[in-house]
Amino acid sequence: MDKLKILHMYPAMLDLYGDSGNVEILGYRCKMRGIELEVHKHNLGDKETDFTDFDIIYLGGGADFEQQLLADDLLSLKDSIKAAYDNGVYFLMICGGYQLMGQYYKDSNGEKITGLGLFDYYTVASTDKRCRCIGNIVIETETDGGKYKVIGFENHGGQTKNVSSPFGRVLAGNGNEFECSAEGYTERNVTATYLHGPLLSKNPKLADHIISYCMERKTGEKYVPAPINDKLEEDCRRQLLERLLTK
Amino acid sequence: MNIKNAFTIIFGKLMVKFLHLLGKDAGNFPGLVLWEMNKDCLKAFKVDCPIIAVTGTNGKTSVTNYLNHIFESTGKVIITNKQGNNLDTGICSLLLNNCDMRGRVKADYLVLEVDESHVPVIFSKLKLETLVLLNFFRDQLDRNGEVETLILKVKKFLETFEGNVVLNADDPNVSRLGLANPDNKNIYYFSVDRYAGATDEPYEVGEGKFCPLCGGELVYDYYQYSHVGKFRCPKCGFGNVKPYITAKNIDLDVPSIDFEGETYKISHNSIYYVYNLSAVYTAASLYNFDKSVLHETFEKFEVNNGRLEKFEIDGSSLLVNLAKNPVGANMTLRVMNEHKGEKELLFVLNDNLADGHDVSWIWDINFTVFRDVSRVVTSGTRAYDIAIRIKCSGYDPDRITVRPDLDDAMEEFFKVKGDKYAIANYTAIQPTRAAVKRYKEKKEVNAKNG
Repeated sequence: MDKLKILHMYPAMLDLYGDSGNVEILGYRCKMRGIELEVHKHNLGDKETDFTDFDIIYLGGGADFEQQLLADDLLSLKDSIKAAYDNGVYFLMICGGYQLMGQYYKDSNGEKITGLGLFDYYTVASTDKRCRCIGNIVIETETDGGKYKVIGFENHGGQTKNVSSPFGRVLAGNGNEFECSAEGYTERNVTATYLHGPLLSKNPKLADHIISYCMERKTGEKYVPAPINDKLEEDCRRQLLERLLTK
Repeated sequence: MNIKNAFTIIFGKLMVKFLHLLGKDAGNFPGLVLWEMNKDCLKAFKVDCPIIAVTGTNGKTSVTNYLNHIFESTGKVIITNKQGNNLDTGICSLLLNNCDMRGRVKADYLVLEVDESHVPVIFSKLKLETLVLLNFFRDQLDRNGEVETLILKVKKFLETFEGNVVLNADDPNVSRLGLANPDNKNIYYFSVDRYAGATDEPYEVGEGKFCPLCGGELVYDYYQYSHVGKFRCPKCGFGNVKPYITAKNIDLDVPSIDFEGETYKISHNSIYYVYNLSAVYTAASLYNFDKSVLHETFEKFEVNNGRLEKFEIDGSSLLVNLAKNPVGANMTLRVMNEHKGEKELLFVLNDNLADGHDVSWIWDINFTVFRDVSRVVTSGTRAYDIAIRIKCSGYDPDRITVRPDLDDAMEEFFKVKGDKYAIANYTAIQPTRAAVKRYKEKKEVNAKNG
């Protein structure tokens, strides 16, 4: 049986908004293709984690309080995380996880949290806690060599700036900043986004793209995931796209 | 009374009268108008009787209804918001409907359920005697903000509050609030002894993983449900409180529980319900009721209204329960699983404003616990989302039927006779009950006409 390994970082702290569902969905879609997705955890204070040992590194979203608690731990792991990134390990990051990988995050209390600095972007939140981008969002992405609409829910105070390669173009919703045209950040082996939902629940093609990337990296051969019964997802997408894109 | 307040009341009363003349149910609207007109409008009311308020994420309506029933059983005159309406404007409308032209509210007690975030604003203007705090769970994050923000709001209020505070000792989010005002001697904790279904490891998503006082990791002897259980902080000692009331000998087969050495028969077999009753018992014990009233209430009283509500329809039995957050839904799944034999589930999920537009909370529901669930029907504005969620937990998608329209969903759901459970979220619960009743009526009419 093929096997992929995912590292779920700070699952106890970065698990707002059902984000852990992304790991469950990857596991489900792997299993349907006869791949075992082995889930490992990195918790606050773990010293032994070797980040290069994984196929996927996953970070969910968290509250400001939790992000502060884990910032120092994250910084202490910089070299190993950077090595994994250079090796082509896939990075999937949502909301708070997205912010923490940038230069810095200035939170709604005005406190500055130093990011890991893996990427050039940085994030500043309004000190008015009610000032947040909240709502359904649809973006158009390039996934698997074609255009793919990604549907989710955004809820963030942070405004992310200096994003060189966004994940998608906003069709409905806000994006990286209020009324922004760009959402998230992407590279060949990176998907960073504000989209909850959880992200992969309504965008199975994106989940399969990540699985294919990892299988190809591992085996060196082209991987085409076998189709699975996604009728519910297809119907859901049809319903939501019609509702969110027709004004 | 100053002129502005006098005018506020007279205007409000006339508005209510006018709306009644038009045949309209006034609802929240008069409170909303009054609040817009005069931010201090609650001060315009003259309330001389004690006020008891119930707040927390889950169980407010049930606990308020129980307390109300207990007070009324002893002949007291109560004003209460039985149907929810628990925001500032809702309370304002309630008082307006129950006062005279001079703003005097005549009752023996006010028993109010109050939204967590509205506690400070309401009780900076009305004098509160007893606050009952049930629990804090993640709930409608896009509407309420993060749980921590909400807790801090209530904490700030409690820092200067000197009345009675009834607190759940087993929820770290609530227990911590007993320390908000060190000068307040009127803190009454309740706790529930370990029950048979408690687990050593967390079974469902929760909030209380870190000590709210020192940030250290909390250690649990056991979890009753979600993050509610026996916890302590090894670093600073947080969690070491002495409960005023402890529910003992939790037997969910009878079902029964013990308070202060006396056994009470209760009408539902859920641990979540036991916590609600413990809050009721503790609050009631501050008002010296005869124990027979409590026995009668715990054994017979039903809130219904979509709270563990039972229906018999055309040879099927149905239990309907409201769930507006993962903890509520997990609780219903627990009740369902503890029922032996095959059963079917209907899940109705809406994403209207009052639900919170974000439905990703359904991913924090633990569906892998499904035992002998033969079929699932989903409905509501987000029927597909909940169907996908259940599918990805490993449930066969061919056994899930999506029927966004509620009447269609009922036809589908009752196609096969058997034991059935329905979970509906906030704005879905009343339409679901209505659809159940419509279906039941239709079946009865059909049966009569042969």
